[in-house]
Amino acid sequence: MATADIPQGTAINNWEIAPGLRAEKMESLVADQERFLTLSIGPQHPGAGHMRIIVVVDGDIIVKADPDVGYVHRGEEKMSEYRTFVQNVPHIERPVIHDSSNILYAYCLAAEDLLGIQVPERAKYLRTIAAEIDRIGYTLYWLAILGIFVGHSTMFMWPTADRELFVNLADMASGNRVTHAWLIPGGVRNDIPAGFADKAKEFLDYFEKKRLPEYHKIFFDNPLFRQRSQGVGILSKQDAIDIGVTGSVLRASGVNYDVRKREPYEIYDTLDFKVHTSDMGDSFARSILPMEDVRQSIEIIRQCLDNMPRQGDVRVKLQPNPRAPPGEAYRRVEAGRGALGQYLVSDGTAKTYRHKLSVPSLRNLLALPHLLDGAKLADLPLIYWSLNIWPIEIER
Amino acid sequence: MQLKLPTAVEAGAEFNALVGKLGDLLVRALDKPLGYAVNWGRLYSIWPVHLETGCCSIELGAASSPRYDVERFGMLEAFGSLRQCDLLLVLGTVNRKMAPRLRMVYDQMPEPKYVVAMGACSITGGLYFDSYNVLPGIDSIVPVDVYVPGCPPRPETLIQGVMLLQEKIKRSKVKAI
Repeated sequence: MATADIPQGTAINNWEIAPGLRAEKMESLVADQERFLTLSIGPQHPGAGHMRIIVVVDGDIIVKADPDVGYVHRGEEKMSEYRTFVQNVPHIERPVIHDSSNILYAYCLAAEDLLGIQVPERAKYLRTIAAEIDRIGYTLYWLAILGIFVGHSTMFMWPTADRELFVNLADMASGNRVTHAWLIPGGVRNDIPAGFADKAKEFLDYFEKKRLPEYHKIFFDNPLFRQRSQGVGILSKQDAIDIGVTGSVLRASGVNYDVRKREPYEIYDTLDFKVHTSDMGDSFARSILPMEDVRQSIEIIRQCLDNMPRQGDVRVKLQPNPRAPPGEAYRRVEAGRGALGQYLVSDGTAKTYRHKLSVPSLRNLLALPHLLDGAKLADLPLIYWSLNIWPIEIER
Repeated sequence: MQLKLPTAVEAGAEFNALVGKLGDLLVRALDKPLGYAVNWGRLYSIWPVHLETGCCSIELGAASSPRYDVERFGMLEAFGSLRQCDLLLVLGTVNRKMAPRLRMVYDQMPEPKYVVAMGACSITGGLYFDSYNVLPGIDSIVPVDVYVPGCPPRPETLIQGVMLLQEKIKRSKVKAI
């Protein structure tokens, strides 16, 4: 750019161009326009998960973030139209394979509303036990990946190891570590084996009394983790309600909302557990709140094991291809990530006419561009994962 | 007419041919032990690429956990750039949006590289075989070395798959170092 082009004394960007400095100023002004860099934190990235986040950065500050999902879209809702009520069970649980009982819980409740069947009492308790075991297993795996994202490898190793206790219980009950397919419309698939209650109590005592205090000491009272996460990515209460986040993210911003308390389903209104909230709304609150929920889940499992009817059916015998009268049903449960709803429309045949999954991860994802606006690039993994998103669930 | 070369060049040419023949002999003699050494070095330091395509990634996480610990068998943690990795673990469903990216990732890896198809979805499309968006197996995009079936495969199955891959590496012919 020729220095003779700019007349003397022209102010650009509130800086008056002085003779002699003209050439350098012009270069830096040209560079200003090229200051913004578009990065693709893509599907192949140690800190991205199954989706892509396109960020526009100005040096170290994120100016704009745009999540790009769709890398695992498998067409669950369309596939439901080609499968009967019971055939739907294996593929419905795969959006979140380690939290499968909760996603199936909503489906089974909606399907039972449509088919008009009453689940036996023992099955209700077994379902709650499975749902809470899965909630604990999901939260521990979420904590493990949070460890990878912040670079705390012990935070990856300890939760995945302790998760094996709960996965063992699920394996004992259903035959598979994850994707149990244990909850089906009508109850649960089979009864629990004989030593289940004792093993469960043993694992729960070990985890609650020995491991959880250690987690707090090493992970959450850790000054490095606190420095990284306190004050980072603050989501205010009004923003949380406006954006529509759910689950532990909503509770970390100060809103006392848990579907198990607001719209209790099956036996949750007879159980005694607390719902914790926090006013801070930062990543630290979002990281530590799920562990409090884990404590409550342990309480719930203990109460269910004590109050369960000793004998009884666990399943209502259905016809091979049960037909539902035309109608619709919508049921919502509290999954590990938040409120998960399933909406089923039946048209009288053995297959559903329409099945809609309303997932919490998508609602929590909507907070991501808002939180990343103005954040530092190095804080992206922590903010992203503290929002309790499971990317495959977003796309179903 | 026979071309008469100057004597110095003739002697140099014969010397070169002799060295060439000796070199051939050396490579042939050391081919087996050298090849074995090179393969041995590659067996126990397999770096997987951090690309998660589907839900089997949870069982990969469980396989890296202290209970199953695939690191003691030689498969290290997925960490860092894909330009320094040699194993592409395709974890689960590959759909149409992901397929070109999978191929791009495979192309960027340096030789020698291996592909393990984990889970039924990457072998034949699995549970989602009739979905509109899912590829019926990744054979059409990348060449696969080991297929690990399961939905999801238990961590022990994945470890067995890695061990089969190690057998394959042991038997492979070393073309370049």
